[in-house]
Amino acid sequence: MTDMAVKPEPAASVPAEPPPPRRKRRRSGWSAVGSTARVVATLAILFFVLFPIVWMALTAFKPARDAFSTSLVFTPSLENFSAVLGGASDLSGALVNSVLIGVATTVVAVPLALLAAYGFSRYRFPGHRSMLLAIVATQFIPGVAIALPFLTLFRSLGLIDTHLALVVVNLSIVVPYITWLLKGFVDGLPTEIEEAARIDGCGQVALLWRVITPLAAPGIFVSAVFSFLLAWNEFLFPTFLSRSDATTLPVALMTLVLPEGVAWGQMAAAGLLVMAPMLVMAFLVRKHFAEGMTMGAVK
Amino acid sequence: MVASTVSPPRRRSGWRRRAEPYVHLAPALLAIGLTTVYPLVSALITSFRHWRLNETREPGEFVGLDQYQRAFTDGTFYNSAWVTLEFTVISVVLSVGLGLGIALILNNRTRLSAFTKALLILPFAVAPALKGFSWRFMLNPDTGVYDKMLDTVFPFFGDINWLGDPFWALMALALTEVWGWAPLIALMLLGGLGSISPEVREAAKLDGASPWQEFWRVTFPLLRPLLLVVVFLKAVFSVKIFDQVVTTTGGGPGRATESMNFFAYNQGFTFLDIGYASAVSWVIVLVLGVLAALYLIAMARQEAK
Repeated sequence: MTDMAVKPEPAASVPAEPPPPRRKRRRSGWSAVGSTARVVATLAILFFVLFPIVWMALTAFKPARDAFSTSLVFTPSLENFSAVLGGASDLSGALVNSVLIGVATTVVAVPLALLAAYGFSRYRFPGHRSMLLAIVATQFIPGVAIALPFLTLFRSLGLIDTHLALVVVNLSIVVPYITWLLKGFVDGLPTEIEEAARIDGCGQVALLWRVITPLAAPGIFVSAVFSFLLAWNEFLFPTFLSRSDATTLPVALMTLVLPEGVAWGQMAAAGLLVMAPMLVMAFLVRKHFAEGMTMGAVK
Repeated sequence: MVASTVSPPRRRSGWRRRAEPYVHLAPALLAIGLTTVYPLVSALITSFRHWRLNETREPGEFVGLDQYQRAFTDGTFYNSAWVTLEFTVISVVLSVGLGLGIALILNNRTRLSAFTKALLILPFAVAPALKGFSWRFMLNPDTGVYDKMLDTVFPFFGDINWLGDPFWALMALALTEVWGWAPLIALMLLGGLGSISPEVREAAKLDGASPWQEFWRVTFPLLRPLLLVVVFLKAVFSVKIFDQVVTTTGGGPGRATESMNFFAYNQGFTFLDIGYASAVSWVIVLVLGVLAALYLIAMARQEAK
């Protein structure tokens, strides 16, 4: 035990020996209780945060007969995964749709957002502030107010239940978020390099492509992750605008709600497919996560 | 060469230079305009017209404010507004309260705290629709793991059918939201706590302030502008609640968890009354507009600090 002052006797009787210099903070009995309480509280936080994730992962690997047992002892089985990936309740089509729509949304949104972020970051012009405010304000629009008009528009265009429809509507959320995010990154880039490039006769297009894009690469990566994540987790838009051909994985989970009850084992397996890639992605960009999800509410 | 202010990109004359920033913004603004302004305006116009998709393919006659009037005399709409208000208050209080607690507990440099902080983002990355299913599974009164744990610790909870009881169903719905938001809010507040200089807290300690006094007299006042931002942000997202209503309770039992978004969805998508649904969605737009204004003011104050 290093610095816990639980033995008062020797501490009082050996004043001659100076305490080792590193031991600066003497802990009293109370703060030892405090730090134990803190550890217990931290473990409780970890439990609160992780348990639903762990429990779903465990349930996904339970064989059907154990799906409802709360026991931790079971023989792991992949039967739930084979059921949702090509088996009895196949969701692989929805999985492919989710990937396609996520990738397409990202590929369209990131270049638009980077260009706009550069514009906001490097120029001052009439309407600068109000346009930025408008971009922040888009996150307050309720999804139904966007989905309903697009439902009737896409119906008349014959675009209901297509990937295109969902990519277009996803832009309403994704482009504002990552424009804001990328503006932060571009703000942080030094302008000297751009000036040097200009002096060397670099045109605006080449400047954006050859100078800004590589410099902003970390920001581009983070915003690509966000735009994929937002598109992947979106539920309201595909609920309104897809039936079966273009339906995404989170909406397809509804097909596991059967009249006789929810197929929980399969739900957990499909849930893990929805969740796992996003957990990895969120972890990769964790430093920017709070900032990205709240559009600069906190820097 | 003087490393100076941002040099204007090459000398160009007159309107070309003035147009340059807008050229950069145009594609993004066009995309945002087409996908947000267009539908908002379109929904506003539709909200003044009679339009049931099961009657006509095209929007019908203009009916003025009839559909807004209908909303304000519709008991089920009032119900959804009330449910949304209750849900918002519950989830804001729980998310911000718990988030603040988590932040205060983890505001130190131990390895365990660092490890926990790194994992705090995970719940927010889970699709809200899936959160709903996950908690529905864990709260199942016969087989759910949380139900069993609660029954063991608090035996008097034994008879509660979480999603079958109007009050607990709303609480369960709030829980799905709190699970994702409380850790995220904790992260945001940890950022704020980190910017409070340790000297201020040391000074309070030297003056003999108890941890309780230190929190209320020093930490809390300094954190208040940020807390306000967080409260409004969470309130906005709570008013928009939709995904988990579908996947956890389906609006039930009865209409006990029918949020405004869910109500609008039912009117438009299930009953195909596009006109009425548009009017309801514009009522939601206006409610959120007020919250958005408050949020932006709070944010401007936070930035001004």
